[in-house]
Amino acid sequence: MASFTKKPGELLWFSLLGLGMLVGAGTALMVLTKGHSHMYNVSREVPWGILISTYVFFVVSSTGLCLVSSLGHVFGIEQFELIGRRAILLSIITLLTGFGTIAMEINHPIRMAIYVMLTPNLESPIWWMGTLYGIYLVLLIGEFFFLMKNHHKGALTMGILGFIAAVTAHSNLGGVFGLLEARPYWHGSFLPLYFILSALVSGGALISIIVYYNYQFRKIPLPAKYPHFLTTLAKLQALFLMILIFFIIWKIIPGLYGRPPEKYEATMAILTGPLAFNFWFFEVLIGMIAPVMILFTKKFVTPFGVMVAGALCTVGIFFMRYDLVVAGQIVPMREDTDGIINGLVSYAPSLAEYGIVLGALATCMFLYTLAEKVFDLEMKGH
Amino acid sequence: MSRLLEKNLSRRRFMGLSSCALATVAVGSQIKVLKSLAMTGEVGELTNLPSKDVFTSCGMCVNKCGVIARVQNGIIQKLDPNPNFFIKSRGMLCARGNAGTKVVYDPDRLKYPLIRVEGSKRGEGKFRRATWEEALDLVAKNMNDIAAKYSRASVMFASSEGTFSEHFFLQLAECFGTPNTVRHPTLCLSSNIQGFGATYGTNPTPDVLNADYVIMSGANRSEALITPDSIDMLTGDGGKRKLIYLDPRFTKTAAKADEWYPIKPGTDMAFILAMINVIVTEGLYDSAFIEEQTVGFDKLVPHIDPYTPEWAAGECEIPAEDIRRIAREFANAAPKAVYYQGRRSSFMANDTQMRRAMAILNTIVGNWDTKGGMIPNSCIKLTNHDYIAPWYDEDIPGRLEGDAITYISEKDGSWPVLRDRALAADPYPIKGMMVYKQNVLGSVPNRAKSIQLIEQMDFVCTIDITMSDTAWYSDVVLPEATYLERNDPLECLGGIVPVVAFRQPCIEPMFESKESLWIIQQIAKRLSDEIYAEFDFTMEEHIHHQVKKNPQILEDLKTKGVYFENTSPVYGKSKGTRLKTKSGKIEIYSEKYAENGHDPLPVYSSPVTVPPNRYRLLIGRHAFFTHGTTANNPYLHDIMPENTLWLNVLEAQKMGLTEGQMVKVRSAVGEQTLKLEITPKIRPDSVYMAHGFGVLSKAQTNIYGKGGSDAALIDEKYCPISGNVALHETFVEVLPA
Amino acid sequence: MNKKRYAIVLDTRRCIDCKACTVACKAENNVPLGRQNHRNWVTEEEVRGTYPHLGQSFTPSQCMHCANAPCKKVCPTSATGRSPEGIITVDEKRCIGCKYCMTACPYDARYYNEEIEAVDKCTFCQHRILAGRVPACVDTCPTKVRVFGDINDPTSEASKLLAKHPHRVIKEGMGTKPHLFYLI
Ligand SMILES: Nc1nc2c(c(=O)[nH]1)N[C@H]1C(S)=C(S)[C@@H](COP(=O)(O)OP(=O)(O)OC[C@H]3O[C@@H](n4cnc5c(=O)[nH]c(N)nc54)[C@H](O)[C@@H]3O)O[C@H]1N2
Ligand SMILES: Nc1nc2c(c(=O)[nH]1)N[C@H]1C(S)=C(S)[C@@H](COP(=O)(O)OP(=O)(O)OC[C@H]3O[C@@H](n4cnc5c(=O)[nH]c(N)nc54)[C@H](O)[C@@H]3O)O[C@H]1N2
Ligand code: SF4
Ligand code: SF4
Ligand code: SF4
Ligand code: SF4
Ligand code: SF4
Ligand SMILES: [Mo]
Repeated sequence: MASFTKKPGELLWFSLLGLGMLVGAGTALMVLTKGHSHMYNVSREVPWGILISTYVFFVVSSTGLCLVSSLGHVFGIEQFELIGRRAILLSIITLLTGFGTIAMEINHPIRMAIYVMLTPNLESPIWWMGTLYGIYLVLLIGEFFFLMKNHHKGALTMGILGFIAAVTAHSNLGGVFGLLEARPYWHGSFLPLYFILSALVSGGALISIIVYYNYQFRKIPLPAKYPHFLTTLAKLQALFLMILIFFIIWKIIPGLYGRPPEKYEATMAILTGPLAFNFWFFEVLIGMIAPVMILFTKKFVTPFGVMVAGALCTVGIFFMRYDLVVAGQIVPMREDTDGIINGLVSYAPSLAEYGIVLGALATCMFLYTLAEKVFDLEMKGH
Repeated sequence: MSRLLEKNLSRRRFMGLSSCALATVAVGSQIKVLKSLAMTGEVGELTNLPSKDVFTSCGMCVNKCGVIARVQNGIIQKLDPNPNFFIKSRGMLCARGNAGTKVVYDPDRLKYPLIRVEGSKRGEGKFRRATWEEALDLVAKNMNDIAAKYSRASVMFASSEGTFSEHFFLQLAECFGTPNTVRHPTLCLSSNIQGFGATYGTNPTPDVLNADYVIMSGANRSEALITPDSIDMLTGDGGKRKLIYLDPRFTKTAAKADEWYPIKPGTDMAFILAMINVIVTEGLYDSAFIEEQTVGFDKLVPHIDPYTPEWAAGECEIPAEDIRRIAREFANAAPKAVYYQGRRSSFMANDTQMRRAMAILNTIVGNWDTKGGMIPNSCIKLTNHDYIAPWYDEDIPGRLEGDAITYISEKDGSWPVLRDRALAADPYPIKGMMVYKQNVLGSVPNRAKSIQLIEQMDFVCTIDITMSDTAWYSDVVLPEATYLERNDPLECLGGIVPVVAFRQPCIEPMFESKESLWIIQQIAKRLSDEIYAEFDFTMEEHIHHQVKKNPQILEDLKTKGVYFENTSPVYGKSKGTRLKTKSGKIEIYSEKYAENGHDPLPVYSSPVTVPPNRYRLLIGRHAFFTHGTTANNPYLHDIMPENTLWLNVLEAQKMGLTEGQMVKVRSAVGEQTLKLEITPKIRPDSVYMAHGFGVLSKAQTNIYGKGGSDAALIDEKYCPISGNVALHETFVEVLPA
Repeated sequence: MNKKRYAIVLDTRRCIDCKACTVACKAENNVPLGRQNHRNWVTEEEVRGTYPHLGQSFTPSQCMHCANAPCKKVCPTSATGRSPEGIITVDEKRCIGCKYCMTACPYDARYYNEEIEAVDKCTFCQHRILAGRVPACVDTCPTKVRVFGDINDPTSEASKLLAKHPHRVIKEGMGTKPHLFYLI
């Protein structure tokens, strides 16, 4: 058990997160009292906003962590065993914060709890989303339990099942969007595949951050096997990113080629329209180009370098989620809708929506850093 | 984020100004409205009354369509069209009719008698809630004081049709002893009545349903709803119907018409005279009919000689060949062809003569009183309640503007002239104004002048249901119960097939609003016993008196919501009878006009040409609103939150103006700022804005500060024959704001 | 006796864009105030041609009560259902406000109703039909653009119109099988 070391840095860190959580809690309270409609900017035309995209961001991260860590104890790639506990724990935490975020977006979470059971609709991707992520959560907890107990057999079974659950649940999340014929930008088999892939990127990125956090920031002596692990991770991460770039390119081309109705307008909104800055600056530059450069430059492949690359990826991915969610709805279903600006409807998150997002991020980091103090997350044995 | 702030702002504004916290949630159901009202203690708790359907008639505009009010637990849930009323309203309710529930349950409605706070200026809107006692005493005291200080004629009475109860108000005026009543017709249709009246002795109704050929000019029936014409216009029998539409704007009627011509404003007479010219010179007229039933055709023939289609084309900018073709088609379709006169004829100063030309054109094709032609209105007789105005020894001068107009209506007067005379105290001052169901500041053009009129008054009292601009500028504001909360006397809606309509309360009057008869009786009581004596009856008695010759009328109204004697037109009633003209026949040539120094036959004069960098301001109905007064209705506000200035695309390009930008519109008498709407739907030489925005009354919380007021811009002229105001003689410049 | 299938047939050539149907619907169904809140709407189509040769048409619309309704498919709690007569319904109590149906509907026919705290849409005025009346928007229309009826009954006004005139549906390609039929 690591003891609470009174470090000024740590104090600052916790109080900052505390502040963020306060903001989140305060906003949540206001939303619950005043009602969503007065606090959120989601509208008839754009019913899904930043809370949905943030939810996606979290669950993608969770899946990613699970998948990457499974490289260790499921696929037996030795070095990855190191981060098993941390990865799974953070995977649980991100999943929970994800749930928290969407609970703030849905108007009646309690009704949901009741009626998904009483009158389920097995045709509904969202029903499956809830169910699968539920199962997935249970498996993650189980896996974490066995890992902590060093119960390898148990961890392995849980790991395998968790891996399967992660892939099903997550590709289904892609389906939540992909099955909407009304939204050509989302519709099709692309999103399920893309979600799995980008999960790997998220996972890799977050792992490189927590590794750094523990062994550099928290000044825990860095065991010998780590540098080796980091270079592998860096290579892997670089590979994931290259594939991601390839995916993005093949998302765009069909959107332009032959100007498919609505898909084209949405794609243009990303390339030159209201979402262009998000896309080119955050997604492409910060999220992909910069990290790839770092990871391909030998002298940067240090714990710090890899962490920076990971951090940049994570930021980029956050915007990828946002742009994906908004772009799908940005083309109006009717020409004469109110407030159309050159053919597109507009959405910008409200203060309250930002508040919730901030709260969620803070909570996630808080829970993790706290957990680092409460649990002993070093992998024993081997 | 900006939207978030907006939301909060708008909510704060609403709560600040209206007495109950309704707008915190966007409510739709009346129950919620009433619940929140009950919380503020303004109405009692909801009670479980039995549900009922109540027959009544819509009070949102002139048409008085039949309504069935669905009432549950003492709440008017919905207004549905009354199918029994088919003859008149064709079983419809328009957007405004449906918005009626929100007239009753509108936080902005008038609730209590209000007295302007002593020491505050008119228009500041500083009112205090008063008891009826205090308010009524104040009204009577001021009326009597003015009568004593000046004369009884120095109190003017302004009112409009619509409530079925206006005659009580006019009776009060007469009993009080003032000749100066002024009604809406000289803002609306008196030149129509005059022009057609001078020709036929009456203002007939076009049989739109049965006509095969309809020419509508300046009558926007898809938006300016007149039942049943607005519906019948689209029916046509066997698809034979042809609709020709003349309007400087591409209106929703234009969208439905077979042919639309963007006629140059003020040149309709040229088009009509040219049609007459073609029909006469090509001998397409109905000579037998002309022989039998008209006078002065012989004088018409030489008169129209110069008015060729080629000449007219230069005036009205409609190609000569089209005029010729239309004239022939029209004559061929006759007698099932009408040149539809429209209702509002407050267009140009020479309007009466233009309407005369319309009447003459209809006459010569012989469509008078035959199927598909021009039908004299008939009505169902009701016994009216008579009274004797008290005799006053003091000598009371005659109507202020009586000598200024040739054919001034005794009750209607002439708004523009009366106002000018009053401002000049010529020949005597007007120091008191009683207003009933009229929004003077919104409806009488040149708002600044009307404000001057009010400012020079000792006393102004307005009886209304909303805080209209006029109420906002009044000293005492009295809340009448809305049309869904009160009894209204029976009224015959005259027309080709007349019906009798009435109103009965769907719910008890809310807050402290009262039936008009009660209000007027209470004023009468305080004025003098002689006056009160003439009001010694109840609404019940009055209504029963109306039907004493035929009680069945009331029976049917109670059971069906309408009374009628025929379901289809009876043609030719006028055949063989003397028309109410000098000659007893249809007067193509008007002897009486000649005697009074007016052109006996319509003589064309071109409208003033639009000065460079100016536009002619056009006005006209909007389907969603009634005049200046429903734009604040929550439901209607939802479909159109503000008005815009229509400007033709080419002109906008010339000036480098962009869609949606704010523009200043300036005329000789006023300036307004509103959003620009760039559209091909209007002539390049004209601009248009919908009526009813740019209000002064801050109590119209939905629309205050939105859009611009046409009334503030119109530089009025008037017709010397009918006294009708001319609303389209104004030129404006448009500048980026 | 085959079972009922309700539908609305529209003759848009008669539409004068008076918006009576929109207000009638708001009043009839307690639709909250606000421009965003509506169950039906009237599209003012682009003005055709150039001055002075212009044309314009108006297209009233509402929920299409699709036979193959994406909104129903995606609803996790089965709050969105279908009546035996083909009316697509929303059960307030079961609606969790996930708004999935709103993203799924290709016609923007749904909105979130703050007052009932559930997603709301056209119900073909089911309550009026049960009371033997026609839908509010049908009833109030001055020019009677909409005709409501059972298209499984060949004698219904609606069936007759469909038999007599060519007609189209909106976004046919979506495969939603809409039941608002527009006469051409
Ligand atoms: N600028 C401009 N001026 C115009 C016109 C225009 O288009 N533009 N149109 C002209 C025409 S055609 C006409 S007919 C006139 C109409 O002019 P008005 O007769 O003034 O008609 P509204 O503007 O509807 O004003 C009616 C007033 O009566 C009130 N009211 C409504 N119902 C009731 C009721 O039951 N009881 C009482 N006591 N009050 C009630 C309303 O709140 C409103 O204040 O305006 C003319 N003037
Ligand atoms: N929805 C609705 N319906 C109403 C009313 C309402 O307030 N709202 N008011 C009722 C009343 S009181 C009246 S009087 C009637 C009025 O109904 P209408 O008689 O139709 O009069 P407006 O609609 O005022 O004007 C008709 C058209 O004349 C056009 N116009 C302007 N100048 C000229 C011109 O020089 N020549 C020609 N040919 N056209 C010109 C205008 O662009 C406008 O579209 O509507 C009645 N119906
Ligand atoms: S036309 Fe509309 S506003 Fe006028 S009476 Fe009929 S329903 Fe009422
Ligand atoms: S009520 Fe009828 S005419 Fe009016 S807008 Fe609706 S469909 Fe068109
Ligand atoms: S129109 Fe939209 S809401 Fe209506 S049934 Fe079809 S998909 Fe569902
Ligand atoms: S918002 Fe309500 S109706 Fe729509 S899908 Fe979710 S639960 Fe079903
Ligand atoms: S049928 Fe009823 S619910 Fe549907 S649009 Fe018409 S009025 Fe509204
Ligand atoms: Mo009028």
